[in-house]
Amino acid sequence: MAEPILRVTNIIAGYGPISVIKGIDFNAYEGEIVGLVGPNGAGKTTFLEALVGNIEIREGQIHFLDKRIEGMSVMKRRKMGMVLMPQEDYIFPFMPVKRNLQVAAVLSRDEEKEELLDFVYGLFPVLKERERQIANTLSGGERKMLSVGMCIMANARVVLIDEPSIGLAPKIVTALFENMKTIKEETGKTLILAEQNVKILKIADRIFGLEAGKIRFCEKTEDLDEAVVKELYMGE
Amino acid sequence: MILDGLINGLIMGGILSLPVLGVAVVYGITGVPNFAIGLIGVFGGFTTWYFLSVGLPLAILIGIGICFPIGYLLQGVLLTPLSRKKEADSTLFFLITISFGFIVEGAIRSVFPKPTISIAFPRLGAIHIGDVSADGFKFVALFVAVVALIAIRLLEQHTKAGRSLQATSQNLKLATLIGINTNQVFSLAHGAGCSLAAVGAIFWGALYTLDMGTGWHLGFMGFIIAVIGGIGNIWGGLISALLMGMVMSFAGYFLGGVWQSVILYGIVILVLIISPRGILGSERSI
Repeated sequence: MAEPILRVTNIIAGYGPISVIKGIDFNAYEGEIVGLVGPNGAGKTTFLEALVGNIEIREGQIHFLDKRIEGMSVMKRRKMGMVLMPQEDYIFPFMPVKRNLQVAAVLSRDEEKEELLDFVYGLFPVLKERERQIANTLSGGERKMLSVGMCIMANARVVLIDEPSIGLAPKIVTALFENMKTIKEETGKTLILAEQNVKILKIADRIFGLEAGKIRFCEKTEDLDEAVVKELYMGE
Repeated sequence: MILDGLINGLIMGGILSLPVLGVAVVYGITGVPNFAIGLIGVFGGFTTWYFLSVGLPLAILIGIGICFPIGYLLQGVLLTPLSRKKEADSTLFFLITISFGFIVEGAIRSVFPKPTISIAFPRLGAIHIGDVSADGFKFVALFVAVVALIAIRLLEQHTKAGRSLQATSQNLKLATLIGINTNQVFSLAHGAGCSLAAVGAIFWGALYTLDMGTGWHLGFMGFIIAVIGGIGNIWGGLISALLMGMVMSFAGYFLGGVWQSVILYGIVILVLIISPRGILGSERSI
């Protein structure tokens, strides 16, 4: 098997004196969807924030594209090809939809911007219909589509998304997750999704179970006992 | 009398709106209320006055131009590194920018030979509207304010730097995550804001007189008017400046000059109680 695009070794991270992440080993390969599941407070968000450099890690190593990145700034990691869509609204609220997408492509090459925009509009036709609409007037589901669209425009190789399903109706979650699968298949990007929604099991290639700041298991999705995962890690 | 008050109010508001735009750009984007901005603008005004011998247009450019690096460096060297510290809060920025204002005041006093100046602009004669006549140059000040506002909006929407400014003011965390160099954006915004304050100070110096008191006055008034308009909301800032100009003008006519401040600041308190995010709402999300 090829080398992982992202390799995390025994990282410890947290806020103030508290360590939320207590020694995590993790990896992700090019072109796969990795699900990171766990109950509230397990450390999913902290882990993603540590990967992109929003919080500093106290111990451990992060290798991305065979380079150690734990000492790098958010900007450097972003330029290397990593982007995070945080849990809260990942939009510029007072800009029209199209400008949100254009601004997200700030580090993309000029010649690929139009192509990326076409891909986003193909994936989410509603964004094309509403391209002149101010972003904060969109519905919750449309905002989430815009957020995902902005991640595509950012053209990163590894896209980290923190609980994309939160606050969305089940039907919209299903459609959104199907779109994630399309993104993976058509762009070859690596998607790492922190989730509590069981539907992640339908699209992820591998699942990491996180509990109290530690990885409890890492399995291919088809090898998982779905009922146990739902009960222990998704509050089902 | 009403037309007279209206015209004078509009003109006063137009002049005030220039430092307001400076404050709105700086605070709207960096989140730092720079109370020294009026003094920096006055420094630009004194510089223009000092270089008048090279010709008015070039002197104006020098005066406006010198304020840009002052704002840029103030942000990049002092305020941005400071904002990363855990202890950094609005009180700290208040004290630091006030202190910087006193440093600029000292610099003006030591560099320039006179503490009070007026900048000689060519006069345009009086313009008559009905029974009211006003110095034509005052209308130029109003016109420049409106042009500056439209220019800011166009730059914001049609340039990469402008879109980065807009994005940073609306969602700082997201702007950083998608790869906008937000530190550079902060410095650019601060430089641009100080240059706008200089434009305001130059007009003030041409219409009235310019001294240290004007610097503090323009800075504080600019900040208050920007808050009333809705921080970061540039249209709100202009409307607020015009309204406040008219309030001062009519208060002066009907109640006398001593009541101007009482009425003005009474309205400020009332607006902030009813709508803490200003009359048109704030675009700041941080």
